[in-house]
Amino acid sequence: MNLSWLIRSQSLVTLASGMIYPYYLLFLKNLGNSYSKYGLAFAVFTISSALVSQWLAPRLDRYSQRMLIASSMGMMAAMLAFPWVMSYSVVLLLQLLMGICNAMQKMSERQLLADYTIPGGRGAAIGNYHFWTTVASGIAVVLGGYLIDWLTINVLFYFSALVYAASAWAVWRMQKADRGKESVQAQKTKSVNG
Amino acid sequence: MAKKTIAITLLIALSVITYFRTSSADQNPYLVTDYSRLHPVKVERVVKGKEETQLIHLLQDARKQHLKVSIAGQRHSQGGHTYYKDGIVVDMTGYNRILSIDREHKKITVQAGATWEDIQEAVNRYGLAVRTMQSQNTFTVGGSISVNAHGRDIRNGSMIKSVDSFRLLMADGQIKQVSHSENAELFPLALGGYGLFGIILDVTLLLDDDELYSVNTETMPTADYVRYFMQEVKTNPDIRMHIARISVSRGSFLTEMFAKNYTLDHSEPLEKYSKLTVREPWTAPGKLLFQLNRSFDWGKTLTWDLQTAFFTEESGELISRNNAMRAAWQFMEYDQPDSSDLLQEYFIPVRQFDDFVEAMGKIVRSENLNLLNITVRYVNEDNEAVLSYAKQDMFALVCLFNVPLSSKGQSHMEQSVRQIVDEAISRGGTYYLPYAGYPSLEQFRAAYPEYRLFFQKKLQYDPGELFMNTFYEQYKGGGAE
Ligand SMILES: Cc1cc2nc3c(=O)[nH]c(=O)nc-3n(C[C@H](O)[C@H](O)[C@H](O)COP(=O)(O)OP(=O)(O)OC[C@H]3O[C@@H](n4cnc5c(N)ncnc54)[C@H](O)[C@@H]3O)c2cc1C
Repeated sequence: MNLSWLIRSQSLVTLASGMIYPYYLLFLKNLGNSYSKYGLAFAVFTISSALVSQWLAPRLDRYSQRMLIASSMGMMAAMLAFPWVMSYSVVLLLQLLMGICNAMQKMSERQLLADYTIPGGRGAAIGNYHFWTTVASGIAVVLGGYLIDWLTINVLFYFSALVYAASAWAVWRMQKADRGKESVQAQKTKSVNG
Repeated sequence: MAKKTIAITLLIALSVITYFRTSSADQNPYLVTDYSRLHPVKVERVVKGKEETQLIHLLQDARKQHLKVSIAGQRHSQGGHTYYKDGIVVDMTGYNRILSIDREHKKITVQAGATWEDIQEAVNRYGLAVRTMQSQNTFTVGGSISVNAHGRDIRNGSMIKSVDSFRLLMADGQIKQVSHSENAELFPLALGGYGLFGIILDVTLLLDDDELYSVNTETMPTADYVRYFMQEVKTNPDIRMHIARISVSRGSFLTEMFAKNYTLDHSEPLEKYSKLTVREPWTAPGKLLFQLNRSFDWGKTLTWDLQTAFFTEESGELISRNNAMRAAWQFMEYDQPDSSDLLQEYFIPVRQFDDFVEAMGKIVRSENLNLLNITVRYVNEDNEAVLSYAKQDMFALVCLFNVPLSSKGQSHMEQSVRQIVDEAISRGGTYYLPYAGYPSLEQFRAAYPEYRLFFQKKLQYDPGELFMNTFYEQYKGGGAE
C-alpha cells in the first residue's frame, strides 16, 4: 500500500520535473551566451546537492518522508520563481535550492524504496517504480511541448509547480498511511504483551 | 498489467501523433527558412559573423568555391531574403556590439547585428531614443535598413532618413564607407538593398531625445479616418507617433477603426517614466485570445472588442518614447505546423485609402481569407531609396493573415494577394517587399519602376552575383534588361 503511494507521489514528481526539464535547459541556455556559463549553473546544482547529502545522510532513516515533502515544496517554490527571475545570480541561487531538493528527493526515494521492499524480492517493485516514473515523465514532456506551443514557458513553470504540490500531498498521504500502520502494529504488540 | 499497457500505449500514441503532426518541411530542423516558414531549403552552411577579417575571408572562400552568400539578421523577412539553396548564410546576430555613442551630436555607431533593443538599452540612460524603427524592437539594424523599415513615428520619414553612414563589405572584399558624401551612389542602393550589395558591417544612426508621451485612443468609422488623420493628427506637431487599427470583426468588418496617438506631454518629468520595461505582461492570455482570433469568427469579435476596450481604457496613460518603441510581440508568436501567420503590407496614397479598403474587403470576403488584423501607419513621401515604396504620402496597411502552408493553400493565397496588389497598384500604391513573394514579376515591376536601375547596379557592384537570395532570384527577371 505504501509502496503504491510512494510510486504515485514520485510519478507526480517525475511528471512535474519531466514536463519542465528539457525546456528548462533551453531556457537556461538562452540566458548565458556561452556554454561554460551554462555548465556553471549545473555545477552549482551538483555542489549543493553533494554537500547537503552529507548533512542529510545521518537523518535520512528518520526523516525521509519529511524530506520528500520538503523537496517537493522547494521545487514548487523554484518553479513559481523562475518566470520572475531577472538576473543570472538569482538563477544560480535557484540552482542551489534545486540541488538541495534533488538531494532530499533522490536520497529519500532510494531509502524508502529499500524500506518498503525486502531483500530478494525487490525486482518487481523496482520494475514498477521505474515503469511508472518513466512513463510519467514521457507523457509530461510531450504535453509540456504542446503547452508551450499554445501558451508560454512561464505557464509550464506554474503548471509544474502545481504538480509538485500534488506530489507533496501524495507523500503526506503515504506518511499518514504509514502512521496508521505503525499504530495498528503498536496496538498488536500491546495486546500480545498484555 | 492492464494499467501499464494503457499507460505505455497512451505515451506511444501521443508520440506517434506528434511525429506526424510535426513532420512537415516547415518543421524540419535541418532545413533553413525564415519567419514565414515558407520554402525551407538545405543550405551549405550557416556561419556566425564575428569579426571583420573572418567575414572578409568568408567571402574569399565563397568566391573560390563558387558558393553564393546570403545575409541574415533576425530573419523576420518572409520572402527568402536571408537564404539561398546550397549557399552560405552569414548570421549577423552575434555581430552586435555598440561601438560608440556621441551624446552631443545624438549619434550611435553599432555593428549591424545589434537589435533595437540593444540600442535602447545603451542610449536610454542618456535620455536618447531611436528616431525611426519598426513597432517591435527585436529586429537587427542591418536587417531594418536593408528593407528601409518604417514605424509609428510620423515625423521622421522612413529609416533611410535616420542613417548617417555605414561601412559596407563588398563582393570583391573591399570595405567602403558609405554616406551622403562618400560613395553616395551606394547609399540609396544598399539601404533598402535586401542584402544584395554587400555586408553592412557597422552603422551610424541619428538619434532623438527621449520624450514623454500621453497615449490616447479614439474610435471612429473607417470613412472618417482620412479626414481625422489629415486634420487632427498631421496638423498637430505635438503628436509624434500614431498607429491605427481596422476592425476585422464580422459585425464591423473594415468599417470601424481605432487610432492611437502619442502626444508630447509636459505634465510630469520624463525620468519618472523612462525606466525601460522589460517584461511583456499578459502573454499567455494574449496568446490564447489571439488563437481564438485565428480560429473563430466570434474570436475575432471578442479580440476586437477587448482590444478597443483595453486601449480606450488606457487612454491618458503616460509613456516614454523608448518604451513606446518596444511593442509587445510574444503573444503573436505562432509555430504550429502546416500554417503560419504571414504579413502583407500595402502602401496607399492618402486620398485612395477608403476606396482601397473597400476593394480589399471584397477580395478578403470572396476568397474567404483568414485576416487576423490590420494596422495602419503613415509614411511620408520618400523617394531616396531606389526601391522606394513611398512615392507620395501614403498610408501603410499592414495585414496579418493566417495561411495554410500546403501547396494548395499557398497557391490560393498567391492568387488572392495578386488581386489585392492589383487594387493597390491601380490606385498608385505599392506593396512592401520584405514579405512573402506572392506578387508576380509584372506587379513587382509596376510597383517599383526603378527596378532596372537597382538590378543594373547590383550587377555592376557584384558582377559574379556573390550575394544572392531567394527574393533576388524571384524578381530579377532575366537579369537586368
Ligand atoms: C512580426 C513582424 C512585424 C514587423 N513590423 C514591421 C514594422 O512595423 N515596420 C516595418 O517596416 N517592417 C516590419 N516588419 C518587417 C521587418 O522590418 C523586416 O522583415 C526586417 O528586415 C526584419 O529585420 P531582421 O533583422 O529580421 O532582418 P532579416 O530578415 O534577417 O533580413 C532582412 C534583409 O536584410 C538583409 N540584411 C540583414 N542584415 C544585413 C547586413 N548586416 N548587411 C546587409 N544586409 C543585411 C538580409 O539579407 C535580408 O535581405 C515586421 C516583420 C515581422 C515578422
